[in-house]
Amino acid sequence: MLKVEHLTKVYPNGTVALKDVSFTVNDGEFLVIIGLSGSGKSTLLRCINRLIDPTEGRILLDDADVTKASSGDLRQLRRHIGMVFQQFNLVKRSSVMTNVLSGRLGYVNPFLSLAGIWSRADRDRALKALDRVGIKDKAYERADALSGGQQQRVGIARTLMQEPRLILADEPVASLDPVLSHSILQYLEQLNKEGITVLCSLHFLDLVHRYATRVIALKDGVKVFEGLPKEINRAKFKEIYGEEAQEVRATTVEEG
Amino acid sequence: MNLRRWFVTGFFTLLVIVAYVVGYQVTEIDPVKLFSSLGNSQKILNDLIHPDLFTRATQDTTLDVVFPVPCGSAQPAQLPNSGPRIVPNVECANPGDVITVKGFDMAPNNDVKILWLLPSGNALFSELARTDASGNFTAQVEVRPITVATQGIPTHLQAETPVPVGGWVPSQALIDVINNIMVTIFMALLATTAGTIIAAPISFLAARNIMGRGWMGTTVYTVVRAILNITRSYDSLVLATVFALWVGFGAFAGVLALTIVTVASLGKLFSEAVESIDAGPIEAVAATGANPVEVVRFAVVPQVIPDFISFIIYHWDINVRISTILGFVGGGGIGFYLSQRINVLEYQKAGTAIWAIVLVVWAMDFLSAEVRKRYT
Ligand SMILES: Nc1ncnc2c1ncn2[C@@H]1O[C@H](COP(=O)(O)OP(=O)(O)OP(=O)(O)O)[C@@H](O)[C@H]1O
Ligand SMILES: [Mg+2]
Repeated sequence: MLKVEHLTKVYPNGTVALKDVSFTVNDGEFLVIIGLSGSGKSTLLRCINRLIDPTEGRILLDDADVTKASSGDLRQLRRHIGMVFQQFNLVKRSSVMTNVLSGRLGYVNPFLSLAGIWSRADRDRALKALDRVGIKDKAYERADALSGGQQQRVGIARTLMQEPRLILADEPVASLDPVLSHSILQYLEQLNKEGITVLCSLHFLDLVHRYATRVIALKDGVKVFEGLPKEINRAKFKEIYGEEAQEVRATTVEEG
Repeated sequence: MNLRRWFVTGFFTLLVIVAYVVGYQVTEIDPVKLFSSLGNSQKILNDLIHPDLFTRATQDTTLDVVFPVPCGSAQPAQLPNSGPRIVPNVECANPGDVITVKGFDMAPNNDVKILWLLPSGNALFSELARTDASGNFTAQVEVRPITVATQGIPTHLQAETPVPVGGWVPSQALIDVINNIMVTIFMALLATTAGTIIAAPISFLAARNIMGRGWMGTTVYTVVRAILNITRSYDSLVLATVFALWVGFGAFAGVLALTIVTVASLGKLFSEAVESIDAGPIEAVAATGANPVEVVRFAVVPQVIPDFISFIIYHWDINVRISTILGFVGGGGIGFYLSQRINVLEYQKAGTAIWAIVLVVWAMDFLSAEVRKRYT
């Protein structure tokens, strides 16, 4: 269980990106965060694994206080929190295999990993992870030789190496076309069904309706909605996205 | 107002003119010299563009005729009519006479040493002559009293010429130049290697994106940056002079100076390469629970390697040039050889060194451009 309590983030330049945000995520949920660009979605997700240090508030992961963790404890906590990025954030010049294996760094002996030595078990695990996302045959290609959709699958395979209990996905499909968006989100959905909690920020409401088990909405760093996807009616939508907003869909063709 | 502006403009114009006039005088600019001195330096310039590259081994061959002094003291020689030979204009002579000696069919354009082989067995050098293009020479030789025959043993008149034997072989100068330029290239190689080994880790400490914004990171970053900046302000020539006084003249002093210059320069280039990388992979690897060293190893190093390699090769190229010059202040290698040859006025050997430097610098330039093309 993930508990976010009174989370506030003020950037050094004075921008208040999050204002007193609290919510709870139960194990096994697929929680989607929505909100306009600049509403604080990325900031919120990055606070949870402390890529960004929050200014105030607490984040509890199964009673472990992420916000107070020492750097060593933080690395232990991060091992179980996978992260998927909009820009995939692969090391482009490294092989797909190396990128996937780097997801295992929290577990392995640093002296071996720094020398580039990986155990047989970890290599098998990496190939299995790639197999799960359907690109095992790309294992030894350079990451930048892959298409966007394939790169994001490498990103997911990398988080699988962490054996995560929680996956943070920051607009994982915003750089992809609609068909690929569904295929990536289906991988996340499948992992979610296997018991991994997913926190995912999304732009398109149809994707939210299709994949979210619950939704929270941010506006200017404040939580303005928390509930089921079907509860986002026209009025709520206007409240979250502003009066002029039109609903845009990722796809007009529904999946069969 | 207008007047004041006019005055200020005039004043600064005057200042600039004065600066150039003074500058012209103190630097003793004299374009006429470029042409008036051409005559005097022609021999030197000629030597420089005709480097000493190859030689042939020579063997002295001696032509010999019996030459009775005074006449009647011995049988005069039977003179051959063909082949390399020397022919005096008289069969014999008395002390004090001056005779004319001609040489025929000898090696063309060659030095000829004319000497007397005395009855005592000692040789007495007399004249130096030179054969013309068809291998002939003429020389006036004085018959000295010491050449008088004793106990019936007559004096011989001899002409000694160095005749080339065997093929062309590299001259000593060429061998020395090759040895010295290898020293220079290896000086540059060692300094570049040592400089890289020191600069690479330091560059991460001098990169803002690696050190972060915490107080400790900022302190390290600032200190390392400052050290690099201070180091960079020392010129390689000054450093080489200091090290030459410290560890003695020679290549080691040059390597030390070059290493420091390389660390300063590569440290800056490397850290800029590190600062320009994509931050995304750093976040991604850090998010897996990797420690900071692993983050650098897996997210930063792969991104900077092409830049690093390109900079290293570029700097090796630069270091070859610098180490050439370092020789002049005691840094060893080809520069040292060149400065010494100039000091003892051996301009042909200096020419050999200069050509070798041009060749190597050109080759390094070409090589480094090629390799960098491959990697970027
Ligand atoms: N490093 C930073 N320094 C200062 N301000 C920042 C920084 N990062 C984000 N912000 C600001 O904080 C606010 C929230 O940004 P954030 O990136 O969390 O929004 P977002 O909802 O993820 O937007 P998007 O949909 O465009 O990704 C924005 O106003 C943004 O300009
Ligand atoms: Mg964002």
